[in-house]
Amino acid sequence: MSSFIRWVRQSTFLRETGITFLSISLAFGVGCIILWVAGYSIPAVFANLWKGAFGNRLSIGQTLTKATPIILTSLSFLVAFRSGLFNIGAEGQMYVGAIAAAVVAAQLHLPAVLHAIVSLAAGGLAGAFWGWIPGYLKARRGVNEFVTTMMLSYVAIGLTDFLVAPRGPLHDPKYMANQTARIDLTAMLPRIMKPTQVSWAIVVAGIAVLLVWYYLFRTPSGYELRAVGKSPTAADYGGVRIRRKLILALSLAGVLAGLAGAGEVLGTHFRFVDGFSPGYGWDGIAGGLIARAHPVGAIFAALLMGALRAGGMQVQRSGAAPGDIAAVLQGLVIFFIIAPTLIRMLFRWRRRRAE
Amino acid sequence: MSIWELLGDIFTIHLVLATLRLATPIALIALGETYSERVGIINVGVEGTAVLGGLVSALVAFYTGSPWIALIAAVLAGGLAGGLHALWCIRFRANHVVSGIGINILIAGLALFITSAVWGWRGTSSYSDTLNSWYIVGAMFVLIIASQILIFRTKWGLRLRVVGEKPEAADTAGINVHRTRYVYTIVNGMLCGLAGAFFFNNVGRFTTGMVGGRGFIGIAAMVIGNYSPFGALGAALMFGFIDALQMRLQTYIPSQFSIMLPYLITVLVLAFLIKRAQVPAALGQHYIKQ
Amino acid sequence: MPEYAVEMKGIVKRFPGVTANNGIDFALKRGEIHGLLGENGAGKTVLMSVLYGLYYPDEGEIVINGAPHRRYRPSRAIGLGIGMVHQHFMLVPRLTVAENIMLGQEPTKSGVLLDREAAIRRIETFSKQYGLPIDARARVKQLPVGEQQRVEIIKALYRGADTLILDEPTAVLTEQEVEHLKDALLKLKSEGKSTVLITHKLREAIGMCDRITVLRKGNVIGTVDAKDTSERELAEMMVGRDVVFTVHRSEATGARESAMQVQGIAACDDRGLRILKGIDLDLHRHEVLGIAGVQGNGQAELAEVLTGLRPTTEGRITLGDIDLTGKGARAFIDAGIAHIPADRHLRGLVMDFSLRENAILGRQREKAFSPNPFWQRQSAMTRFARDVIDAYDVKTPSAGTLAKNLSGGNQQRLIIGREVTKAPCVIVAAQPTRGLDVGGIEYVREQLLKMRDQGVAVLLISMDLDEVLMVSDRIAVIFDGRIVAIRDPDSVDRRELGELMLSGSLSEEQPMTETT
Repeated sequence: MSSFIRWVRQSTFLRETGITFLSISLAFGVGCIILWVAGYSIPAVFANLWKGAFGNRLSIGQTLTKATPIILTSLSFLVAFRSGLFNIGAEGQMYVGAIAAAVVAAQLHLPAVLHAIVSLAAGGLAGAFWGWIPGYLKARRGVNEFVTTMMLSYVAIGLTDFLVAPRGPLHDPKYMANQTARIDLTAMLPRIMKPTQVSWAIVVAGIAVLLVWYYLFRTPSGYELRAVGKSPTAADYGGVRIRRKLILALSLAGVLAGLAGAGEVLGTHFRFVDGFSPGYGWDGIAGGLIARAHPVGAIFAALLMGALRAGGMQVQRSGAAPGDIAAVLQGLVIFFIIAPTLIRMLFRWRRRRAE
Repeated sequence: MSIWELLGDIFTIHLVLATLRLATPIALIALGETYSERVGIINVGVEGTAVLGGLVSALVAFYTGSPWIALIAAVLAGGLAGGLHALWCIRFRANHVVSGIGINILIAGLALFITSAVWGWRGTSSYSDTLNSWYIVGAMFVLIIASQILIFRTKWGLRLRVVGEKPEAADTAGINVHRTRYVYTIVNGMLCGLAGAFFFNNVGRFTTGMVGGRGFIGIAAMVIGNYSPFGALGAALMFGFIDALQMRLQTYIPSQFSIMLPYLITVLVLAFLIKRAQVPAALGQHYIKQ
Repeated sequence: MPEYAVEMKGIVKRFPGVTANNGIDFALKRGEIHGLLGENGAGKTVLMSVLYGLYYPDEGEIVINGAPHRRYRPSRAIGLGIGMVHQHFMLVPRLTVAENIMLGQEPTKSGVLLDREAAIRRIETFSKQYGLPIDARARVKQLPVGEQQRVEIIKALYRGADTLILDEPTAVLTEQEVEHLKDALLKLKSEGKSTVLITHKLREAIGMCDRITVLRKGNVIGTVDAKDTSERELAEMMVGRDVVFTVHRSEATGARESAMQVQGIAACDDRGLRILKGIDLDLHRHEVLGIAGVQGNGQAELAEVLTGLRPTTEGRITLGDIDLTGKGARAFIDAGIAHIPADRHLRGLVMDFSLRENAILGRQREKAFSPNPFWQRQSAMTRFARDVIDAYDVKTPSAGTLAKNLSGGNQQRLIIGREVTKAPCVIVAAQPTRGLDVGGIEYVREQLLKMRDQGVAVLLISMDLDEVLMVSDRIAVIFDGRIVAIRDPDSVDRRELGELMLSGSLSEEQPMTETT
């Protein structure tokens, strides 16, 4: 028994998850204060948050649907983060991946499962390219990747907007809206949880989590990538080709974000629609931080954010408060999670009070 | 239309004025970030702080009816955000970049919530009275010149530079490293708040897309300007020019392309024109005193 | 005027896990040069940092010029006339000498603008008065180390220091620069200044000080007059037992065939300046080749060049018929060159990784640990780490402990164990005993000799001339990026070595004297 207690005290896993839960509690606490100051009913808001996120089958479907791309964009952020880089461009990489997948899914004609896989791959590859550019600039020319990934994000959004606008080359002439043609049946990712929008995309996301975990912690390349992130000088000493790793890291990040976009096209909308993402890329940044840069944590973080988004919509519908309280809560969670010393201070204080 | 008529159509006095106006918020943010990074604190939360400045301007203008009070409130709110970032980085040892990202996310969420709560529209405020944004342009020039003198010709400038280069040296010389970092990060926030107020006064209301990445362009401008106020101004004018140009070009080329132009140019400039700049040596490092 | 410039009574200073100062009494007479002697970790720097206000004492009293003071910051200490010259200079390289010196006490025109000329004039006055020549307008990064130190001393004097604390001032100086420093200290003494000299070097303590206080593990062992004591007596006080001055270096047996050939190597430092200007070396099996030299002559860059961490601009490096010229660290590691790096925190270990993961740093691509790119054998890694920990006596709760939680000595043991088990043909050991206690230092030196006996070619780079003399079979002197001489350590003249290290050549007039 005592060795179990010792494990509990020393376990990094428990400590890290404890910190996460504490941050979430603090964030919700401050959120309550904001609601109270603004004059909204706290119980009503939380009841609707819950209802919208987990209340019934449809809500759970909403949560999962929204969580799916966030899992991938969180992975995208955290893979880059593990190498010491900041990928802020997941949103743009998503768009690039989405449109590539849409084109391949609509223009090519292949048998069922193969078509979907090829379309996903196309999305991943396009995202990889969009991540490779800032990776190359960083590795070869020392250009700050924070700025380049962000700028390229805006470029990607503008570019795809142009492509699907009424006079653009990929525009679907049957409709007024900025979008591409419907993809082939053979490329669609089947729905899993009827009547919700949850599709096989979530399985793809789950597989991605496993692959990323395996890559980071069970392969020599992943070991080297983590070493570069923790100590580039020691990695250099250990014979690691740092520049290659940085390029690889951002390219991988691009693949993951590209897959997120492809998943949305192939599983949810069945075409590329301009503005299809309510900010999943930016959510990925938040998700990567909430996940404390661990792939398995990305699932939890994405579920949290998917729940907040779905719940927020319900709050908006119910009129209990502006639905954006969910965004505020999300921001607060991030803000508390990122201050290690603060959390540790409070953690110790709480434990002392409990004793 | 001949090529000369085309050029004459584009390069007018309006272009110059537009350049100045568009450069101003970038210059303010770049100046602010110069201060902050010169004392060793990276602040990518400048984007969110500018948004906060715009939001607070709209809020206070709405409730008080006075754009001048709104301006002061925006500056103070920006300073508050800067102070929060400094607190997180200095006292709680957060990773600077991550803390800045956190501020951006937090303010983005708050902006949506507050606009919905106060005006009922998601992400937009109502229109209010504004002051002439040219006042802010003028203030920007004054601040740039004053900052150039401050940083390179006064004792406070020497001290702040040492704090960013080698905090231990400053500490043993009796300078309070932490306080210096707090002060100039708050100054950074205030300048960003002013930039946000500029956006508001330009348009007359707050919208969430107002700042549109110009905070990050401001950081790029600071890097290109090599951590000096005059350099920041020069880089900001360049960006302002490109931005003004792309608006003018929208009648000739698809709008999506011209909107992309400033961002694309940023990447290209950083990729090809930047040698290793004079980065303050202690940038981004936590300073731990016994 | 009170007899004592500074009195410290019963000073206690604790840090997590260690009591650095354990009730120390220390008194500095006005106008004396007082040595504070002790090993690494004895508490000398901590004590003086307390005096300078960088730390607050947990207990005890400080009396400065007859008046007691308790908790104060460096700004107050400066005001009370105490100046400190740290071991690692507190100078901003990018700024000028004048800007560095006037920091905190800047003269101004009309209260706002800096008056640089006034500061320069004042600095030049001090420079002349105390015989410390410096160029006030130069940027610090362009100055040689000896001049930088003078800048630091003038910085203290500029602020009105009557009491100077010098922390390991001779660590980075040549023998001749040490002589200059001694003259400067005597001049300061004649002008009424009192000086505390923190050092771990016995010869200098006796040569430069009036009185010497010895600290060991946070306690005062005693205070003696320099002229009444000997190196042996001081060493005993410092370490507490009869010190073995030399590790017995037996004659190496085994063929000394050439293992690594270095021809005409040139390289640039981090600033882009040529630092290595033509190095020729031959590393032999069964032999320790020691590189002697004053810091800044290219030793650090040499170590990096020989392990693939720094590119060369000219020359060749070969390992028999393997050509390593122009290759990166990966190629050097694969060729069998091991490296004990000078900075274990930056290079030697990934501090946030566990010992388990650090044990294979450099070997992560070997078949034993990773048979293919898609699989890393976790069990093999763990087993290997445990073996190294056991064999090299690394004290740690488990193989999963993070490297940063180990003591310096144990970190170095892991690094050595890791490098030795690679069964390399060449090992480059840069500053391998830096920051270790006596036990750790002995251990490292023994390991190096053991490797030599097993046929490895050992290259030892060290600032400690005694260490180089003790451990090496051959000594090469490096000066200004070139190897200027190769000597036999058993028969070489220390004076001659010093001259070679300082000036790169021997002057004709110097008579040959016996080694002391």
